[in-house]
Amino acid sequence: MNDTPAQITLDQWDERYDQLRSAGLVEPSYGGPLRRHLADGDTRLAHLRYDNSPAALRLWNFLLTEEDRLRDARAAGAKIVGAMKDLGTVAVMACSMDNVVAFYPDGAWWIPCMMELGAGLLNIADSLGFDESFCPVRAMLGAFVTGEHFPRPDLLTCSVGATCDDFSAIAQRIEAMGEKIVWWEAPHRRRPDRGETPVELPGGFVAPQCQVDFVRGELQRVADALADLTGAKLDSHMLAAGIEAANRVRAVLRELRQLAYTAEPCPMGALEMLIAEMLAIHFCSDRTESIAVLDGLLDEVKRRVDAGLGVARPGAARIFWINPVADLRVMNLLEECGGRICGTEYLFPHAIDKIPTDIEPMEALARMALADPMIGPSAGRAARICDDISKFGAQAAVISRISGASHCAMEGTVIADRIRKNLGVPVLEIETPPLSDSMRPTLKTRLEALVEIVKRQKG
Amino acid sequence: MQIYAGIDAGSRTIKIVLMDAEGRVAASSLRDQGVEVVALAEELLDGLLGRAGLERSDLGRVVATGYARNAITSADTTITEITCHAAGVLRQTPQARTIVEIGGQDSKVIHLDDSGHVRDFAMNDRCAAGTGRFLEVVADKLEVPLNALGELAGGSTSPSAISSMCVVFAETEIIGLLAAGEQRANIVAGVQHAITSRVAAMIGPNARGPIIFTGGVAMVPGMDRALADSLGAEIQIADEPQMTGAMGAAILAAETP
Repeated sequence: MNDTPAQITLDQWDERYDQLRSAGLVEPSYGGPLRRHLADGDTRLAHLRYDNSPAALRLWNFLLTEEDRLRDARAAGAKIVGAMKDLGTVAVMACSMDNVVAFYPDGAWWIPCMMELGAGLLNIADSLGFDESFCPVRAMLGAFVTGEHFPRPDLLTCSVGATCDDFSAIAQRIEAMGEKIVWWEAPHRRRPDRGETPVELPGGFVAPQCQVDFVRGELQRVADALADLTGAKLDSHMLAAGIEAANRVRAVLRELRQLAYTAEPCPMGALEMLIAEMLAIHFCSDRTESIAVLDGLLDEVKRRVDAGLGVARPGAARIFWINPVADLRVMNLLEECGGRICGTEYLFPHAIDKIPTDIEPMEALARMALADPMIGPSAGRAARICDDISKFGAQAAVISRISGASHCAMEGTVIADRIRKNLGVPVLEIETPPLSDSMRPTLKTRLEALVEIVKRQKG
Repeated sequence: MQIYAGIDAGSRTIKIVLMDAEGRVAASSLRDQGVEVVALAEELLDGLLGRAGLERSDLGRVVATGYARNAITSADTTITEITCHAAGVLRQTPQARTIVEIGGQDSKVIHLDDSGHVRDFAMNDRCAAGTGRFLEVVADKLEVPLNALGELAGGSTSPSAISSMCVVFAETEIIGLLAAGEQRANIVAGVQHAITSRVAAMIGPNARGPIIFTGGVAMVPGMDRALADSLGAEIQIADEPQMTGAMGAAILAAETP
């Protein structure tokens, strides 16, 4: 069996899959050839390039069977919690309880890309008053209407306050359609005033204790709702165990990121790393399997690093990527243009940081929630990004603006200015819709130009 | 004689520069772009070689740039317009630190460092309000040849305020201005300022000079003055601004081992 890393098409994966099976590939229950997901309508898969490892196949299959897993859980009597917006906090709480699975309906924002608009979710959102001036996460609204992409949650939560206005508006519309939502407020993180007790948060942020206390109270309301749902109280021991398991996912991801984003040549493609990072938020509704999938990916990356093997061209420009892309194909494009990912900030670095374990569990979660980069000043997010660019040794940055997302209107400029001023590295701002094919030539020009700048600076 | 070629397959025109190994321009030419991009480029290249008494076998490296660069089959490699315009401008003005390029379908701002390397860039290619296309729309609406717009704008006493950020809506504004009896000269001058204001916003407040203006729109009389006004800074128009990208591509073709 050829173990040389490569990025291959869906057609090539068909052949590769047969070879792997012949060589004795052992798969989990959700395994199978990638192509089978085309039948579910995920037509974008035919236009992507994938890593050719069994670990990557397992990652994709895990991601693309989330809906099956949720429906199986429902059939087995588990309670389903839909956590919206908080990106990595409520899922930890929910998964600490027996017989509860959590997922993020927000993830529906990739459905228009994956199904190449075939599901009509954006049209439904349009008809409900949420047009293209809103973030693509409005697809979530369409998904709630059709009920076809995830089961209706038994409990729905949404963080609000110092979060994206678009998101709150969309979630309010969902509630108006009859979904009961447990709202919990995330205040705008601020530095302590004189006389207030400062609390250090993960990620290097600081907030006053009163804000931590407030968030803790809000999270307790969520815990109470979980107790009402399950009939069992979420106590400190359960939460501590849940945090420990979440930290295991985060630890694997941190190690994976460190290796994949610093090794030369680049051992794993941008697309698979993006998907892997997303597991930090929601575990694809199965935390144990999530760890197994990430462990497999980490083992493959280690093998490649030890063997000096990679997927990107040698000397590829080292790019730090900010914000997730609405169209997954753009990650392939970066590599086609001669770049590689060296560090990311996909809006949830706090979900990759270790949750403190030396303090009371709910206090720890409250601190994590307050470390969300989107609920503090943009300058704070920019500062952390600059630190990470330096840490990963990136030579340029791409800010992938999310069209219509209200938290991004000026944030991109703030971040770009800070990077240019503090680090002197070139910054490219792009904006991609869920399907960027018509913009591909202009995107290609911009990414190629960025790579040329890096290479001429190096030369 | 070894000859290097730079082909700029832009959105409105195709430009080719032939350069010898010493960096001297042997020949250059341009023609309007069309549907058959490859055929047009090859035809232009063959014609240019013929007029210079050269043959294809004299060609060393060929670099293609411009939006259709990847379609140019005779190119040995492609390089983006950003890098090529920088190379073309630096050959003329080594001390240049900011380049403004306004073409038919996009506009670019290129920042250079003290070594003349591209430090950063910004592009507008999703909106026609900062491009030459805006001028074409206005020329059509005012029934004035494109190349006469500059002269017309020179007679403006008070440029009209064009407030729309979109060419389509700006066109509506222009219809309104005409209906209100506004002088065509003021409308054209207003449009020129609307374009350069968009570009100035891309440049930001800290543009370093010298600022070089290039691209086809730089040839439209009055655009340099409008850009200087919008920036509040002096600007220089590049020599043969339409050819800068092709020139840079030829330079890079000659420089690349």
